[in-house]
Amino acid sequence: MSSKQGNNRNRIKRLAIYSLLCSLCIVFGYVEFLIPTSLIAPGIKLGISNSIAILLLINGDIGGAFAVNISRILLSALLFGSPFSLLFSLCAGIVSTLVCALLIKLPALSPIGVSVAGGVCHNAVQVFVASFVVGRGVWFYLPILTVAGVICGAAIGFLGIVFSKKAKIDF
Amino acid sequence: MKILKKTDVILSISLILISVLGFFIVELMKKDGKTVVVKQNNSVVYEGKISEDREIPLKHNTVKIKDGKVFMKCADCKNQICVKSGKISKSGETVVCLPNRVIIEIE
Ligand SMILES: [Zn+2]
Repeated sequence: MSSKQGNNRNRIKRLAIYSLLCSLCIVFGYVEFLIPTSLIAPGIKLGISNSIAILLLINGDIGGAFAVNISRILLSALLFGSPFSLLFSLCAGIVSTLVCALLIKLPALSPIGVSVAGGVCHNAVQVFVASFVVGRGVWFYLPILTVAGVICGAAIGFLGIVFSKKAKIDF
Repeated sequence: MKILKKTDVILSISLILISVLGFFIVELMKKDGKTVVVKQNNSVVYEGKISEDREIPLKHNTVKIKDGKVFMKCADCKNQICVKSGKISKSGETVVCLPNRVIIEIE
């Protein structure tokens, strides 16, 4: 097999795996959609899909983490969201993935710590965006959303580690 | 790979501590409010004293001021978070109806 052929095969494999992971995220998103966590405080979500991004980051695939996260946000907004909710989840998704991608390089933090930071950032960005839409009053939600971000983030980081041990993704 | 490192725990605890501390500081700084401001789509639709009992009907929501407290009496939004938010009376407190873009603020 020539190296060009090998390259193409690799790209197709990559595309297939990303698509598979993305559809898995959509399923996670639907499961979350069914759990009424937003009754505790507006905007609280488990963020199970982020465990896929953590899995890709553990594998050192930063581009893949962004590709899967952004496409799943766009797809789930199309399926169960509105342009309004897309604005929130896209801003929060991009910032939290960026934070995770930077922190995963730190040897002092495990994927759990990385995911905790990502979860807290995700919620903080949502409050920040909401403060422009509805007014600064929403900052009162930040403390409870931070606690939720730490708890959910830790669980999702752990899930990402479990996935990375069970599913060997190699390109 | 170690599953949980010391730094992870320190990071998590400090994030929670900062948020709880912030919450208490905000709670302690609260004062009884004087004015009720109701905004819809970021523009003020009502401004008045909190001491005057009244009902403010909006397109999709009804705001009620009674006994120095303000609350969302009813709303046609799906999640009903605004109605469940309860009564507010302190300066800086808010009730938000995100779906209908209605916000009640006390100043
Ligand atoms: Zn409402």
